[in-house]
Amino acid sequence: MTIFGALGIASTGLTVHRKWLDAVSDNLSNVNTVRSTTEDAFQARYVVAQEMTSGDGGVQVAGILLGDPEGRVVYQPDHPLADELGYVRYPDIDMSSQMTQLIMAQRGYEANAAVVDRARETYAAALQIGR
Amino acid sequence: MGLFDSVSYLALNSALDGLALRQRVIADNIANIQTPGYHARRVQFEDALARAVRHGEGAVGATVARSLEPTREDGNNVNLDTETLLNIDTNLRYQLATQATTGAFTSLRTAMRTN
Amino acid sequence: MSFAVTPVTAVTPAVPTVDLGAPAPVAGDPAAGARFDSVLGGIDALQQLQSTSQGLAVKAVTGDLDDVHDYTIAAAEASTALELTAAVRNKAVDAFTEIMRMQA
Repeated sequence: MTIFGALGIASTGLTVHRKWLDAVSDNLSNVNTVRSTTEDAFQARYVVAQEMTSGDGGVQVAGILLGDPEGRVVYQPDHPLADELGYVRYPDIDMSSQMTQLIMAQRGYEANAAVVDRARETYAAALQIGR
Repeated sequence: MGLFDSVSYLALNSALDGLALRQRVIADNIANIQTPGYHARRVQFEDALARAVRHGEGAVGATVARSLEPTREDGNNVNLDTETLLNIDTNLRYQLATQATTGAFTSLRTAMRTN
Repeated sequence: MSFAVTPVTAVTPAVPTVDLGAPAPVAGDPAAGARFDSVLGGIDALQQLQSTSQGLAVKAVTGDLDDVHDYTIAAAEASTALELTAAVRNKAVDAFTEIMRMQA
């Protein structure tokens, strides 16, 4: 563990939660993105977090999983992208679960930022010993 | 005069130089966070300093390298969280190195005092 | 005329004297030796504290130190020991100067 190790670990936490926030924001902005039935639907992004074993530790993004390519097939015959039968693909994104994830990502980011503040004060106090 | 020639004194001076350079490079990285194609730069001196101290030398120069982290789609790989925390870490290290250097001068003054 | 010279004999004091006995030896007093050794030992300990503190400072800036308070506590110990030694030395010099002034 390096001398100010808590700061490095919190930094990895902040990065992962911000990537989570970016992914959820992407999903929410594309919740009504229509594609024709010949293509895959817009696939929701899921950030997979994994413990980091090298260096100081912390967390890292192991990968990004993509959601269901089938999506929801909806009958909308007057849509410009509708096929001969009048169907288009909507992404299979549940807005309420995305909003929950948004709150969790925000709280996770705030928790890591609180760790940074407390760790910084702790290290500053350690440097004041005996002065 | 041999007062300020010791390995530890020179090593602390090199560390102060390296840390000050690191602060400037971090500020540079943060300023360029939106610049397309910009790669974050990193200052390295700790390993070189550890090697030099093992061989009895103290003075070592800092090197600047480009970070090889993955880039976003505009070619920029500056991560604001990493830079912010590196800034805090560097501040604390600079404070520590300054205290250690000041301690050397304070010790001399204490030894010189006659009352 | 010849004068018979009688050799001088020991002078017998007119005033009765008291035998004080042999004086206590100054060199070789074990208690004084122990006191001086402790002063030297204190200076050695001070050197040790100073070098420990400097070594930890270098370890901290090269990134090899795990806990920053190890360095700050060692630095506080070294500076306190140095101030104590300097105070003792200054007091000893003041006392010596005072005694010299008394004898002048």
